[in-house]
Amino acid sequence: MSEYSLAPFIKKRKGRIMEKAIKRYFPLFVMPTLIAFAIGFIVPFVYGIFLSFCKFTTVVDWSWVGLQNYARIFVVNGKLDTSFLHSIWYTALFTVTSVLIINVVAFAIGMALTKGIKGTNLFRTAFFLPNLIGGIVLSYIWLMIFNAVLQNFSKTIVYSQWYAFWGLIIVVCWQQIGYMMIIYIAGIQNIPGDLIEAAKIDGANAWQMLRNVTLPMLMPTITICSFLTLTNGFKLFDQNLALTGGNPGKMSQLLALNIYDTMYGTTGWQGVGQAKAVIFFILVAIIAVAQNKLTTSKEVES
Amino acid sequence: MKKKIVSVLLCATMISSMLAGCGSDSATTTEGTSEAATEEAAAESSDSAEASTDAGSGSVYLLNFKPETDGAWQDLAATYTEQTGVDVTVVTAADGQYKTTLQSELAKSEAPTIFNIGSTADCAEYANYIYDLKDSSLYEHLTDKSLALEYDGKVAAVANCYECYGIIYNKTILEGYCGLEGAVISSVDEIDNFETLNAVATDINNRVDEINDALGTNLTGAFASAGLDSGSNWRFSGHLAGLALYYEFKDAGCDLVAGQGTVTGKYLDNFKNVWDMYISTSSADAATLDSGAYNAEQELGLGEAVFYQNGDWEYAAFAPDNENGYIVTTDDLSMMPIYFGVDDENEGLAVGTENHWAVNAQASQEDIDSTLAFLDWVITSDEGRDAITNQMGLTAPFDTFTGEFESKNGFASMVNEYAAAGKTSVAWSFNATPSVDDWRADFVAPLTEYTERGGSWDDVKTAYVDQWAYYWELSNEQ
Repeated sequence: MSEYSLAPFIKKRKGRIMEKAIKRYFPLFVMPTLIAFAIGFIVPFVYGIFLSFCKFTTVVDWSWVGLQNYARIFVVNGKLDTSFLHSIWYTALFTVTSVLIINVVAFAIGMALTKGIKGTNLFRTAFFLPNLIGGIVLSYIWLMIFNAVLQNFSKTIVYSQWYAFWGLIIVVCWQQIGYMMIIYIAGIQNIPGDLIEAAKIDGANAWQMLRNVTLPMLMPTITICSFLTLTNGFKLFDQNLALTGGNPGKMSQLLALNIYDTMYGTTGWQGVGQAKAVIFFILVAIIAVAQNKLTTSKEVES
Repeated sequence: MKKKIVSVLLCATMISSMLAGCGSDSATTTEGTSEAATEEAAAESSDSAEASTDAGSGSVYLLNFKPETDGAWQDLAATYTEQTGVDVTVVTAADGQYKTTLQSELAKSEAPTIFNIGSTADCAEYANYIYDLKDSSLYEHLTDKSLALEYDGKVAAVANCYECYGIIYNKTILEGYCGLEGAVISSVDEIDNFETLNAVATDINNRVDEINDALGTNLTGAFASAGLDSGSNWRFSGHLAGLALYYEFKDAGCDLVAGQGTVTGKYLDNFKNVWDMYISTSSADAATLDSGAYNAEQELGLGEAVFYQNGDWEYAAFAPDNENGYIVTTDDLSMMPIYFGVDDENEGLAVGTENHWAVNAQASQEDIDSTLAFLDWVITSDEGRDAITNQMGLTAPFDTFTGEFESKNGFASMVNEYAAAGKTSVAWSFNATPSVDDWRADFVAPLTEYTERGGSWDDVKTAYVDQWAYYWELSNEQ
C-alpha cells in the first residue's frame, strides 16, 4: 500500500530529502501519541486481560484463579446463568434495529436536505442539535416524556423489556440520526455533478439514479456510518443506565450495563466482570471488522 | 455557506466533547490541606512539641461516604492541619459511587487510610485492607460495642454514627384527625400495633375530602407514595425487608446483623400486609410506582400525606430554616416504629448504621498512627465533636458526646423515648444481605410485578428465599 503514495517523490531530490527527514524524525513525532496510546489504552488493555484470570478487589490486590471467571459467566453453583446470554442477544437485537433505523432515516433526511428546499440550514441544525446533549441528560428528559405519556395507560417505560427496548431505540435514534445525517450530506454533496448529469442524459429515473449512482458512490459514507452506529449500539451505556437502569429485573440490561453491574453489584465478582469485558471486546471486534470488510468491498471508484 | 456549516460543526464537536468530559468525574476532589497552614503549624510545633508527636508524622486520607458532610469534613481537616501540621486529605465519593471510587483509590500508592465499611459482607471483600481497631481509642469510647463490626477475630470497623428509621408521621394532622367525629382512634398514642395503624390509615384515606374540609389540610392520601424506582425502592427492599429478616434471625438465634446463610421468608406475610397498606392507602397509582415521578418526601412536606416510611436523616429536610418550600416542619413531625404485626408491643425504632470507619492496614505504620490520632481527635476535641453533631447533624455512638454535643436530631431522640418505654430497638438486619445490590434488585423485580401487574406473591417469596441462599453461597466461597 505504501509504495504508491511515496512514488512521485522518489524521483525528485527534494522529495528524497523530505523522505529521509521523515524517516529520521519519525520516532520523535510519533512518540507523544504512542506514549499516550500506550498509557491510555494498551497497558490497561493488557492488564485487563490479565485481571480476567484473577480474583481481585482492587487492581493491585489480585490472586490467580485461571479460567474460573470465564466459567462463572455461564455456570454458577452448577446452574446455568442466562443473564449474560440474555443481554448478548438483547444487545444484538438492539444494535441491528438501531443501525437499520438510524441509517435509513439519516440517509432519507440527508437526501431531502440536499435538494435545496427552503430552510435547509435551519433543518440541518435542528436535526443535529440532540446530539449535543449528553446521553444521561437526554435519557432523563425522555424518561419524563415517556412516563408522562404512559401514565395515561397506567404503565411505565420499564413495564416490560420490550417497552424498555423501544424506549431505548427512540432515544438513541433521536440522538444519533442528526449526526449520521451530517455525514450523509457530506457524502451526497461529494458525488460529482457530471456523473449525475450523465445519468440524467441517459434517461435514468429517480429510482435508477438512487440505485446505480447515489448508493454506489455513497458506499464509503455508508461504511463509516454503519461502523459508528454498530459500535455505538454495542457499547451503549449512559442511555441504558439513565432510562431503564436494566429494569424490569435486569431484563433490559445491555452488555455494557451487565458488565458494570457484575463488576460493582455482585460482591467479589470483579474478576467475572473483567472476564465478561474481555469477551465483550472480542465480540465487538469481530463484528466490527466483519462489517468493515463487507461494506468496504462494495466501494467503487468514480 | 459550507464554511459556516463546517465551523458550526467544529464548535459543536468541541462542546460535546467538553460535556462528555464533565460526566466522567465521579469524585469531588478537594484537598483539605494548605501549604501555608502546614508551614505555620511547623513553625509553631516547637512550642507545642507534645501535640505534634502525638499526632504522628504520617498523613491522613479520609474517603468520605456521605456527600452531604463534605463541607464540614474539609473544614475539620483544615483545622487539624493548622493545629498539628499533619496533612489530612478528605475526598468525598459522589452519591452512589462509593464502591467504584474506593476500589480505584485503594489501588493507588496514596491510598485512603480511612474508608467506609457498610456491613460484615464488606469486611470479607476488603479483608486484606482491614486494620484491627481493638486497641484504638475509637473502640474504647464506643458506647455500644455491638456497633463495631468484627471479622476474622479482628475489630474490623467502628461505627461513626447510628441512625434510626420508622414511620415518620405528621402529628399535627393526626391529632386533628383524632378530634374528628367517627375517628378510629381518640389519641395518637393508641396507634401501637399494626391493626390500629392499618385501620387509621385506611380511614384517613377513605375520608380525605372530609378531613381536608374539617382541618383545612390538603391531603391526597394517608401514606406517601411507595416509589419502586431505584431512588426509593431501598426503603422497602432494604429497610422494610429488614424487619422480616430481623424477626427471622431473632427466632433462629443467630447474630442479628451478621445473619445466616438461609432465610425462610417466615415473616414475609407481615411484609405483605404492611406493603399492601402502603400502596392501598396512598394516592399514587400503584401501576406506575416505578416511574420515578413520585417524591414521597415532598408529599409529606407539602402536607399531602400523613405517614412516610424513612429514617432520621430526613430530619434536616424538614428543619424550619431549610428553604425547600415545605409547609410541614420538624415541629409537626414525629416517628413511630414500623409496626410489623409480629411483636408490636415490644417493638421500637430500627437502630443501626451503614457507616463504619475502617483503617487501611496496607498503609505505612506512620500513616496508621497518624490516622488513629486524627480519629481520636475527631471524637474527643471540641472542634471535632461540634462538627459531627452540629454541622453534620449525626448521632455519634461515643461516650465523649455529652452535654452540648448530644444529638439534636428530633427523630434520633425518639429512640431513647421508645427504649425508656420498655421497647426493644430493632437491629439493622438487612446489613447481612449478601451481594446487597443484586439481592435487592432480584427482590424488587417480583415485588414490582406483584404491585403493578398483579404478579404472584409466591414469586416475591421465592426471590427472597432462593436469591438469599444463592448470593450467600457466592460471596462466601473461596
